[in-house]
Amino acid sequence: MTQRSQNARRHAPRLAMLAAAGLLAIGSATAATVTLNETGSSLLYPLFNLWVPAYTRANPGVRINTASTGSGTGIAQSIQGLVQFGASDAYLSNAQMMKNREMLNIPVAISSQMINYNVPGFNNVHLKLSGTLLAGMYDGRIQYWDDAAIKRLNPGVALPHHMIVTVHRTDGSGDTFMFSQFLSFTDKMWEQKVGYGTSVNWPAVPGAIGANGNPGMVSALKTTPYSVAYVGVSFKGQTDKDGLGEAALQNRAGKFVMINERTVPAAAAAMVPKTPKDERISMIYAPGAESYPIINYEYVMVKLNQPNAQMAAEIKKFLTWAVSPTGGNSLSFLKQVNFLPLPASARSLTLQQISKIH
Amino acid sequence: MRTSDALFRTTVTAVAALIPLVLLALLAFLVHDSWPALRFNGFDFLTHNAWNLGNQYGDPVTVHGELVMPGASFAILFLVVGTLASSLIALLLAVPLGVGAAVFLAEAVPPRIRTYASLLVELLASVPSVVFGLWGYVLLIPLLSRHVYPHLAHWLGFIPFFGPPSGSGYGLLTAGIVLALMCVPLIAANLREAIESTPQALREAGLAVGATRFEVVRKIVLPRLRLPLIGVSTLALGRALGETMAVLMISGNALNILPQNIYSPISTMASFMVSQLDSALQDPTNMAVHSISEIGLALLLLSLVVNAMARLLVPRDLGA
Amino acid sequence: MSALPDGLAKARALASERRLRARALSSWIGWAASALAFGALALALLDILYVVFRRGFSALNWQLFVTPTSGIAGGLLNAIEGSALLTFGALLLAVPVGVLGGIYVSEFSRDPFARTVRFVADVLVGVPSIVFGLFGYLTMVTTLDWHFSLAAGCITLAMMIAPYMLRTTELAMRGVPAELREAGYALGASQANLVARVLLRECAPRVLTGILLAMAISMGETAPLIYTVNWSNYYWSGHLTHEPVAYLTYVIWSFINEPFASAHALAYAAALLITLFVLAITLLARLSISRLAVRRNP
Repeated sequence: MTQRSQNARRHAPRLAMLAAAGLLAIGSATAATVTLNETGSSLLYPLFNLWVPAYTRANPGVRINTASTGSGTGIAQSIQGLVQFGASDAYLSNAQMMKNREMLNIPVAISSQMINYNVPGFNNVHLKLSGTLLAGMYDGRIQYWDDAAIKRLNPGVALPHHMIVTVHRTDGSGDTFMFSQFLSFTDKMWEQKVGYGTSVNWPAVPGAIGANGNPGMVSALKTTPYSVAYVGVSFKGQTDKDGLGEAALQNRAGKFVMINERTVPAAAAAMVPKTPKDERISMIYAPGAESYPIINYEYVMVKLNQPNAQMAAEIKKFLTWAVSPTGGNSLSFLKQVNFLPLPASARSLTLQQISKIH
Repeated sequence: MRTSDALFRTTVTAVAALIPLVLLALLAFLVHDSWPALRFNGFDFLTHNAWNLGNQYGDPVTVHGELVMPGASFAILFLVVGTLASSLIALLLAVPLGVGAAVFLAEAVPPRIRTYASLLVELLASVPSVVFGLWGYVLLIPLLSRHVYPHLAHWLGFIPFFGPPSGSGYGLLTAGIVLALMCVPLIAANLREAIESTPQALREAGLAVGATRFEVVRKIVLPRLRLPLIGVSTLALGRALGETMAVLMISGNALNILPQNIYSPISTMASFMVSQLDSALQDPTNMAVHSISEIGLALLLLSLVVNAMARLLVPRDLGA
Repeated sequence: MSALPDGLAKARALASERRLRARALSSWIGWAASALAFGALALALLDILYVVFRRGFSALNWQLFVTPTSGIAGGLLNAIEGSALLTFGALLLAVPVGVLGGIYVSEFSRDPFARTVRFVADVLVGVPSIVFGLFGYLTMVTTLDWHFSLAAGCITLAMMIAPYMLRTTELAMRGVPAELREAGYALGASQANLVARVLLRECAPRVLTGILLAMAISMGETAPLIYTVNWSNYYWSGHLTHEPVAYLTYVIWSFINEPFASAHALAYAAALLITLFVLAITLLARLSISRLAVRRNP
């Protein structure tokens, strides 16, 4: 054996001890901080990314991981206890609540959904679309952009004879939940054949593509001419920048409306008073002449029972901050993602739920 | 036998036994976890197109003795077709490319620079799957969908499955092309070595009777390598069947629909497992997760059969 | 009378010349096709490298190497650290199994069990990585309740690369000349001694090459990690379980889908780093093989 390898052997235990000591040092240095993990809704993700740096700067004892994985993941991983916060645009179903009684559905803001499209030459025209038309596109009854049914709602718009490429989410998604619920509430055939959920049995339409998350939806729209997709409003800055079309949607009163500072609050005003104590409610297709038809509560799914008091305290503190009008619900955050703050009545229900966490 | 030898033998045998144990563990856990799905889905699993989590906002019902969400059904014919079709297209492209490149490298490139030239092909194997996906996503899809597929559909439309619509670029042929690039180095490298080790006497005999050098390769060298070529192609097929990330990023992730032409969006079993496990986890009855495990089990068995076949076809040491 | 054979000979010569020309042409076409095949593959590799390097370099800045990601911006240090930890951990577990297993299969190759092990290792090398990922999720993440964690990721990766290393080690051991073994036994060496002192040292470079290639494989993997390690915006805090870890390939897959320029820049930078690492390791491994081979058989 050479001198060098003997030396190496003599030093090996010492090196190993040093390495172990290093690991221990890292471990103990961070023992005082609490790590909270968030995953789920890609619609809520941009807001979390605004919240977390601001919150952790003021509260250095807590680390919050964020991830954009889709509401389905948020729901699943929060139920399994893999994350503390499951972000979701959809509330838990009765079956999920029966099986997981310790789950809380905590609204933190009000959001809405756009129908975007990429029809070259027509992206600056706000095409008028209805739930029935969209259901027809997504189940294959309407295949071309110049279909008579589309032209009827859009007289004078010379739409091209091109196949419609419908884009849907492949991940379990609250946006899919909202969109399919809108189609179910407006189209009998869709309700019977497909229904609604965070993942639905998409009718087999030739050429239809699946995309991952809201970002994937925007990218697919951008790169695929003649496509149509549903996109959460927190991506409006991006869809506008990419020059994508945004549809005016027919509401329950038969009017065509777009997302703005009147239509979303109008829909919220019609639905928020109906919110039950556990705050699980659909706000899709609200009545009212001005109401925008696809709005919802943005939820954070949290477990009632936390493993320890420190964790519970940090979770309550963060959520209370998140819904406070001077904290996370201030317009300086929400304006950037086009969300509405929680109305006072919803906030008090939410605070009641937060106070139960222990 | 000396005790030290016995100890040595016992130690290495015990450690080596971990390898079959890994395979047994994979099989045991996947069978265990997919058992309820095997019972609920039955044989329809592989012969129908119906991946449907059911009405998640309904109440669970009991079907065939299993608790599931109303309307739930799990059948993956479209994944089986997508997996096999994309892998076969990959093989159809990779075999001629691999043979051509191997012949060129072994017969036309001077030995001095051959090592470096063959790196140009063989390094393709070390590019991570996700980087292939990235390249396909940012470069290949815009290129093919705008400048290649429309022409292909126009000029070769008379061939079945080549006609329009030429689609969005996300789909079967794009996946096949990228898969071909990923598994071609395996074919090229093994075949090149086999060509190089062909006895010189055989070539000289061919040249002596007046054959050109290319004829020697085509009529004498390559026919002898038919069996290794089949073996290594089977191995490449196995690799293509299980590719995940690149396919996930460029295949269009079709659901419950069979491709109508070579441009249609598809999904494969491997990519579907990544994209759908999260959704499946929401099913309060867990049947969706059990069904994902059943896909995993089917993929495992498929890859075991293909790889075992490759090894039995060719006893040489390929690929390692 | 003599005109006929003469004409026949001429016709024959003409025909054979035409045949020769046709054969020359088809040979030429054959060479051209094989050159084209090679060219197409080389072009594909160069284009992948071009895309990754050009976009990656323009996204590089020193911030990437000193800060962690925050949301879809920031640096990559957490992912670099995580990739290194995962690879190191996987090797730590897989090297002993792969190398000792390889020794067993090569030294006791007549055992029926050795043949079984080798066959199973071959087959395992071909099992799709996502199957390992699902297994890791079902067993470690949920059943053992480790959650997304470094430990779950390392063990999943180790299960994938150990069979590969077993085969590379075996091939390396079998490459050792038989005389060396015989000489060793003639001198009365025990088998353990012979393997450790003579054979392993003789084929160490080739064993190491196998380990390096396995390292490249585990660095480039994504699918088995998505459901075992997940993702973290922070540095590793020293916990083996119950804490997700960042890694570079995740950034590529997930951030390229975001519609934001900052996310794309990170994805390209991560692609550049991982491609550089993997190519460097592969080149090191391959070129050292050929150099050693040359040195051994001058």
